[in-house]
Amino acid sequence: MIQAEGLVKSFGAVQAVQDVSFKADDGRVTALLGPNGAGKSTCLRILSTILTADAGKAYVGGHEVGTDRNAVLKSMGVLPHATGLYTRLTARENIAYFGELHGIGKAALTNRIDDLVQELEMSAFIDRKVEGFSQGQRIKVALARAIVHNPQNLMLDEPTNGLDVMATRALREIILSLKRQGRCVLFSSHIMQEVANLCDDVIVIGGGQVRFQGTLDELVRSSGEEDLEDAFIRMAGIEE
Amino acid sequence: MSGFKTVLLKECRDNFRDRRTILSSFSLAVLGPLLFIGLMSFVLNTALGESSEPAEVSITGAEYAPDLIDYLASRNTEITLIDSEDPRTDVVERRHDLILAIPEDYQARFTEGLMVPVTLWHDSSQIGSSRRNFSAVRAMVGSYARTIGVLRLQLRGVDPTIANPIVVQEMDTASPAARALTVLATLPYLLILVVFMGGFYLAIDATAGEREHGSLEPLLCQPISRAALVLGKTCAAAVFSAVSLALFLVSFAIAIPFAPLHKIGMSLEVDVAMSAAIFFVSTPLMVLGAAVLTSVASYAKSYKEAQTYLTMVILVPTLPLIVTQMMNIEPSAVLMTVPSLSQSMLINQLITGETVDYLHVFISMAMTSLTAAAMIRLTVWLYNRERILI
Repeated sequence: MIQAEGLVKSFGAVQAVQDVSFKADDGRVTALLGPNGAGKSTCLRILSTILTADAGKAYVGGHEVGTDRNAVLKSMGVLPHATGLYTRLTARENIAYFGELHGIGKAALTNRIDDLVQELEMSAFIDRKVEGFSQGQRIKVALARAIVHNPQNLMLDEPTNGLDVMATRALREIILSLKRQGRCVLFSSHIMQEVANLCDDVIVIGGGQVRFQGTLDELVRSSGEEDLEDAFIRMAGIEE
Repeated sequence: MSGFKTVLLKECRDNFRDRRTILSSFSLAVLGPLLFIGLMSFVLNTALGESSEPAEVSITGAEYAPDLIDYLASRNTEITLIDSEDPRTDVVERRHDLILAIPEDYQARFTEGLMVPVTLWHDSSQIGSSRRNFSAVRAMVGSYARTIGVLRLQLRGVDPTIANPIVVQEMDTASPAARALTVLATLPYLLILVVFMGGFYLAIDATAGEREHGSLEPLLCQPISRAALVLGKTCAAAVFSAVSLALFLVSFAIAIPFAPLHKIGMSLEVDVAMSAAIFFVSTPLMVLGAAVLTSVASYAKSYKEAQTYLTMVILVPTLPLIVTQMMNIEPSAVLMTVPSLSQSMLINQLITGETVDYLHVFISMAMTSLTAAAMIRLTVWLYNRERILI
């Protein structure tokens, strides 16, 4: 479970996030929806302990972000905006690096990576250097790296950005299987189609504030629009 | 400090796989000694050559002054007898570099005790041996003239010293050995540069490079303290510096027998003990170098920016060396507090076989280590700021 309570963050004179509260439950896929510059990445970065909120509290798996950094990071996997793989290392070495940083023992790590290779169908390229990988292969490796420590919670920042159809589909499959395992998945996006295909709950952010939180159906109903995209635009307050 | 070793190993492995990093990190270390020995051989050969090579001179009208020619031939000269109508053109057109022209009436004037003008044609804009030949021959002719003058005065019963109230004695102390030592004194610069170049590219790749490739953000989301992260990266750069210095010492030990030092009666043996001692006193400098490079590269936003900064940074450790060498300062306990300077002085003492003061070694290593620790703290502070990502 990922929870935010009254988060505030500003960069100089710019207020990126103003009093943001939301909740993402276990066993559900929650989308953080908003136009560019709405504060999605800032929220995720506060949750992943990289940024410190000016005010408010946040919890990941019950651990408070900011006071219990290690516990938060151990119960959470993060897939940031860029996949950020090391191109001179093999896929296996990339995954193993983060596994070791999580303190996973050698034998357990080997087993875990073998499982991930099965789960994410990476056997064809697991021992090749990442240089020259396709986007689909890269996103799989990056995702495997993010969940190598088997976290209950997963955060993805615009994961489908720049992915082709097949890669997007592969990612969707993985996210759904994580959901079936009872994990909490929170991802940011501004693409309606992928949200509609994947999400149980939606949080709409606009201008650094939460405009709506609920299920997809509720979003359409409460906005008074037929179409999901129109509902999103109205809720995010873009048309103003 | 969990995770420190993981980061250290990963950075080393990652960078050892990059051919560009390997090439730029270690090429100076491997090729530096060859360059150094080449320079040394060149300096020694010219220095030795100058003192023994005969002065070459072409003489026209030699038949008019057989005594002078005999005198010159008895000195260290190589005389070519020519018959030149126009010595000036011969020199201008480089048929001859140096022509001594003796006039027809030499013997007649000489017997009468008149002044005899002889002309020495040369081109002072020419570099190389002609200038040296010119001054050698001029000095020889001058000394012949003085000898004759002295004899004439004595024949007339006059004390010859009356004509020479003041005598200048020129003493050039620059022996070939001294020149070789000047070259040897540049060795510490090279060593310190080798140490810094070793960690140069790894430091950039591990910090600014990581930032540019977008791999820093996921890395910062791992349960590892920033201190362990920075320490791992810094130590990886230090490992590369150590490899670089080790390669240099091996390459140097192999190359030094090829320097013609025996010609000046000097022997310089680089044995394992000396190499080990040089390596040992340099260890804190490797860490400091790595720490400085890592901190500056962490401040930079891109690979290019870091490269620009660091190119300037690696000049800094050579500055105190240049200053003290110009001022000819002896090693002292106070100077041992200055990183890079202290190492260069210690290395110099080790190479020339002087006794090394253990207190100096201790002060040097302690102060350099402390400075390194301060730089690492600074880098940790840089990594603790949110701005490291933005």
